[in-house]
Amino acid sequence: MSAQKTAQDQDDVLAMLADSINVWVGKLSEIVQRIVDVGPIRSVVNWGRIYSLWPVNITTACCSAEFGAASGARHDLERFGVLPLGSLRQSDLLVAEGTITKKMAKRLRMIYDQMAIPRYVIAMGDCAISGGLFHDSYSIVNGAHEFIPVDVYVPGCPPRPEALEQAIIMLQEKIRHSKVYERG
Amino acid sequence: MILSQEREQALIKKLKDRFPSEITEARVVRRSRPEILVKPENLVEVATFLRDELGMDHANGVSGVDYNREARFEIIYHCSSLQNKETRDIVMAIKESIPRNTPKARSLISVWPGVDNFERETFEMFGITFDGHPRMEKLFLTDNWDGPPPLRKEVRFPTD
Amino acid sequence: MTVPEKPAPLAAVESSRTADSGPQTLTVSVGPQHSGSGHMRLIIELDGDIIVNAAPDPGYVHRGIEKICEVRNIIKSIPVIERPAIIDSSNLNHAYIRAIEELQGVEAPVRSQYLRCLLNEMNRIMSHLYWLSIFGVFLGHTTMFMWPLGDRELFIDLAEKLTGARITHSYIVPGGVRRDLPQGFADEAIKRIAYFEKRLVEYDKIFFNNPIFTSRAKGVGVLPRSEAIAIGATGPTLRGSGVDADLRKDEPYAAYSKLDFGIPTRKEGDSFSRAIIREEEMLESCKLIKQILKDIPAGPIRRKAPIVVPRGEAYSRVESARGECSFYMVGEGGDKPYRVRFITASFRNMSAIPVLLKGGHMADMPTAWWSVDYWPVEADR
Ligand code: SF4
Repeated sequence: MSAQKTAQDQDDVLAMLADSINVWVGKLSEIVQRIVDVGPIRSVVNWGRIYSLWPVNITTACCSAEFGAASGARHDLERFGVLPLGSLRQSDLLVAEGTITKKMAKRLRMIYDQMAIPRYVIAMGDCAISGGLFHDSYSIVNGAHEFIPVDVYVPGCPPRPEALEQAIIMLQEKIRHSKVYERG
Repeated sequence: MILSQEREQALIKKLKDRFPSEITEARVVRRSRPEILVKPENLVEVATFLRDELGMDHANGVSGVDYNREARFEIIYHCSSLQNKETRDIVMAIKESIPRNTPKARSLISVWPGVDNFERETFEMFGITFDGHPRMEKLFLTDNWDGPPPLRKEVRFPTD
Repeated sequence: MTVPEKPAPLAAVESSRTADSGPQTLTVSVGPQHSGSGHMRLIIELDGDIIVNAAPDPGYVHRGIEKICEVRNIIKSIPVIERPAIIDSSNLNHAYIRAIEELQGVEAPVRSQYLRCLLNEMNRIMSHLYWLSIFGVFLGHTTMFMWPLGDRELFIDLAEKLTGARITHSYIVPGGVRRDLPQGFADEAIKRIAYFEKRLVEYDKIFFNNPIFTSRAKGVGVLPRSEAIAIGATGPTLRGSGVDADLRKDEPYAAYSKLDFGIPTRKEGDSFSRAIIREEEMLESCKLIKQILKDIPAGPIRRKAPIVVPRGEAYSRVESARGECSFYMVGEGGDKPYRVRFITASFRNMSAIPVLLKGGHMADMPTAWWSVDYWPVEADR
C-alpha cells in the first residue's frame, strides 16, 4: 500500500519535473526562434529555401502545357531551382495549373495537407484565379484561393512561360523577406 | 471522288428492305451522312444487321439531345466501317426517340463494345438508363456535380 | 468489369490472403498525383506483379464544355472549344468550324483551306513532340524530356508568327482564317523544318533505336487489330495495330485531297509501334508543310459568314493529332447552337487502356499507358 503510494508520488514528481522542463524547453525554443529570425541564420535558411522550390507533379488542366514548356529546354525552370518531382513529401511548391474542378479540388487539398511546411502555392492561369473561360460552368471551383492559401497569381490563358518565371522570381522575393518559423 | 449519293442510297435501301416497319424514317442528310430513325425496341436488331451484313464495325460515338419542348430525348449512334476502304467516309446515324418521363433505352454494348463509356456519359449527362449495360455508373461526375443531369435543358446557367 | 470504386482497406486484403478461396488481388490507385503526368486516375487490380484488371477514372478536368457551348454564341465558343486539346488546338477548332460551315452552307476560299492545313500540320508536330517529351518523363529518360520540348519551340514560334498566340490560336473562323501569311514566313519555316528533320535522326539514335527504350516498349501493351476496331480506337493507336485509317485520306477535307503524303502504319500493335508511328508522322507533316508553302494559291483568305447556326444537323470530323475528332451539332436558327456534341480521340482511346494493361506487368504500365497518348483534358472536355 505504502509502496504503491510512494510510486504514485514519484510519478507526480516526475510529471511535475517534466512539465517544468517542457515549459523551459518551450521558452528556450521561443528564444532560439527569435534569435534565428533576426540574425544572419535567417538569410542562410531562406537562401536555401529560395533555390530549392520543388513543385509537386500534379497537373490540373490545360495550363500544364505551358508549365511543361517552361520546364523544357528553352525556358528551363531548373535554373531557378525548380525541379518537378514525383514525391509530394519532398516538395515545397504547388502550382495549380489551370481549371480546378470540384473533383480535383478535394484531391488538391489532400495533396496540400500532405506537403511538408514550408509550402507555397502559385495559382497559374485565369481559371485558377477566378474561373476564367469556364466561370459559369457547373463543375468547377472559381479560384484556387477558395480552398488553399495562394502566394502568387499568374494571369493569362494560358500564361506565357515568361510569366511563370516572373511568378517564381516574385515568390522567391517573398520567401527572402519571410520569417523562418512561420506556420502555414 | 464520287460526288453522287449512290452508295448512301444503296445502303438505306438495303436497310429498308430488311426492316420495312422497324425503320420509321430514312434519308441522306449530306454526302456520306445517311441517317435512319429506328423504333427503340428494334434498335439492337438493326445495329446487329448493320454490323454483320453492312460492315459497320465500330461506333464513332453516342450523343443525346434533349428536346424538352417535344418532351423527348433523342439518342444518336454514329457508326462507320473500317473494313471496307471505299466506304470509310460514310458515317451512319442511327436515331431513336424516347419519352422524356421514362428515360430508358436498350444498350448496344453487345453489338459494339466501344460504346461502353459513351453510354455511361449519356447516362450521367441526361439521366437515361441503358438496359443491358454492365456498369451503369457515373463516369465524369463522381464528385463533380450532384444536381440533376447537367445537360438537360432545365439546368440553366447564371449567364444564360 | 467490376472494380471497386474505393481501394480496399489493408485489413480486408490481409483477411482475403488468409482465406483459401477467391483470387488474392490487391487494388492500387494510381493518380491523380503520380510520377508521370496527366490528371487522371487508374484503378489497377494486381495479382502479385500482374495486372488483372484496370479501370480508368476520368473526370478530373470535366468542365462542361458541351453545356457552355449552348449558352455562348458560336464565335465566343471558339476559344472554349480549343481548350480541351490545347497542344493540338487548331485541329479541334477546325472540326468545329467545319460543322458550322456545313450548316451554313459556306465554303471557305481555297487559300484559307491551305492555311488551315498548314496550321493543323504544325499543331500535329507540336502535339507529337509534347507527347514524346512526356513519354520521356514516364520512362525516366531526361534527354527525351528536354529535346522535344526545345524543338517544339521552333514550331511554336512559327505558329506565333502566323496567328499571334503561342498555343491557343483561335485561327480558324467561319468562312476562312483570321490572318494571312506574314512576310518571310515561308523561308523561316523551311529553314526550321530542315533543322528539325536533322534532329529527328538524332532522336532515332538516342531514343527510338536505343535498346533501353526498345526493350521496354517492344511487345509491351499489345492491342490486337480486331480489338482495336471493335472498341473504336483511333489515330496512331489504331494505325499501330495495322489499320491504315486516316481521315485526311479517307474523307479528304480542306486541301488534303490536293496534297501528297503517306500514312505510317505498323502491324505489331505494341507500344513501340505506336511510338515510332508518331515519329514518322512528324516527318510526313514536315513534308506537308513544305508542299503547302510551295503550292499555296493566291486569293482571299476569308469570306463573309453570318453569326448564325441555321436549323438542321451537321456531323463533321477531322483527323487530329491523336485521331478522329468529331462534332455533332444541332442548330435552331439562333446565334447559339441547340446542342453541340463533340467526341475527341482521347475519349475513344480511353477504352483501349484497360485492354493494353491487362495481363502485363505493373512495371510496364507507364509505357503502355502513355503510348496511347491519352490527354485527359481532351477526354473529359
Ligand atoms: S487559364 Fe486558360 S489555359 Fe489555363 S487552364 Fe484555364 S482555360 Fe486552360
